[in-house]
Amino acid sequence: MNTKKITVGYEGVRPVVIGGDGPLVYIGGPCAIESRDHSFMLAERIGKICAKLDMPWVFKACYDKDCRSSPDSFHGTGLDEGLKILQDVRREFGVPVTSDFSDPSWGAATGEVVDLIQVPAYLCRQTSILRAAAGTKRPVHLKKGQFMSPWNMKNSVRKLEAFGCDSVLLTDRGTFFGYNMLVNDFRCFPIMAETGYPVCFDGTHSIQLPTSMGNISGGQREYIPHLVRAAAACGINALFMECHEDPPNALSDANTVLDIQYLERILSQAKAMHETRLELLAKWGIDNVHAEV
Amino acid sequence: MSTLKSDITAGAVALPLDSFPVVGQRTLLKQALEEMTRRAIGIACVVSDTDGAFLGVFTDGDLRRMLLRNQKPLPALLTDDVIMHANRGCTTVKPEDSLVSAVKIMEDKAIWDLPVVSNGRLVGLLHLHPAIKHVLGT
Repeated sequence: MNTKKITVGYEGVRPVVIGGDGPLVYIGGPCAIESRDHSFMLAERIGKICAKLDMPWVFKACYDKDCRSSPDSFHGTGLDEGLKILQDVRREFGVPVTSDFSDPSWGAATGEVVDLIQVPAYLCRQTSILRAAAGTKRPVHLKKGQFMSPWNMKNSVRKLEAFGCDSVLLTDRGTFFGYNMLVNDFRCFPIMAETGYPVCFDGTHSIQLPTSMGNISGGQREYIPHLVRAAAACGINALFMECHEDPPNALSDANTVLDIQYLERILSQAKAMHETRLELLAKWGIDNVHAEV
Repeated sequence: MSTLKSDITAGAVALPLDSFPVVGQRTLLKQALEEMTRRAIGIACVVSDTDGAFLGVFTDGDLRRMLLRNQKPLPALLTDDVIMHANRGCTTVKPEDSLVSAVKIMEDKAIWDLPVVSNGRLVGLLHLHPAIKHVLGT
């Protein structure tokens, strides 16, 4: 894919380049920061897997889950404690870190710590959030809303550009298919790549069944491998998957996070698919099958 | 009876830049169509977003041809950048070209408008109606 390359990582960590014909990048970690020790444990385990696979990666964990269906659900550690933990993770492991933010007033503080700032899918067209994200001067990870068409994501990208951002990663995390159900339209990758920015597949939220369990979301994680292989074959620059060592007891997204015991095998397949796709395109040329009119 | 005037240049008769649709290359197709409708002119001149250079035109004819071959959902089409559908090899004239020769080009190509371009930059639009009036000296 002829996309821009964006660099994730400021001083103190190994920068990760996402885009062009570069290697597939993994973005992952727990859905929510559960504790400092838990974040460190997962960062260490993911880091070892990615080192073994020679796969660049970004640690992801959120400090505030503002989109929970129930007021009783775990909301997060909060801004100050969460950012401190993320800062410690990047210092300890030398890995870029990312979190989303759900309130424009959290943008500046979040941008001071994270290497990649994430805009939640539900808020992907909110001007105040996009302005705050661009204002951090960090690369922006923009998730396609489940209600958005891939071509309409250009409007959000243009907003970011208007606010001074020139480094964007666009992610598909599924599209509403009626109620409580998501589907993936893999045409969204080449369509969103028409913006010129790299694209990413969210393999764990895509199998979510939104709020299907009354007041929390369900999920069919058995389909993660299939969707990840398909997305990598279609053409992505990064793969996002949340993981946990004990999914049933995860404090957030317990029904969708990937058990970390399966992370290596999924990443291995995604990486192989990605490299095979690049080899095929090098052999056969770009995918131009337009009819001549 | 009117007298044919052959000493008038295309630049002298062209519509000024602020009186016809001129859009940046990344203008959404929907916005370009709105501008053409607002100006009641069936052509939009497309210029570079970075240096203002003239890049091409998008016309009512381009729209008709595009609709006949388009397979995208209409909302996707309307979200396309106008440059994706613009004619980048369109005929242009220079401001110093004679009006008579420019009208001859319009006749030969059966077109109503000619962008007037100088050193790669759009300086005006020659529209058939005022052009004929000047040629005839009316």
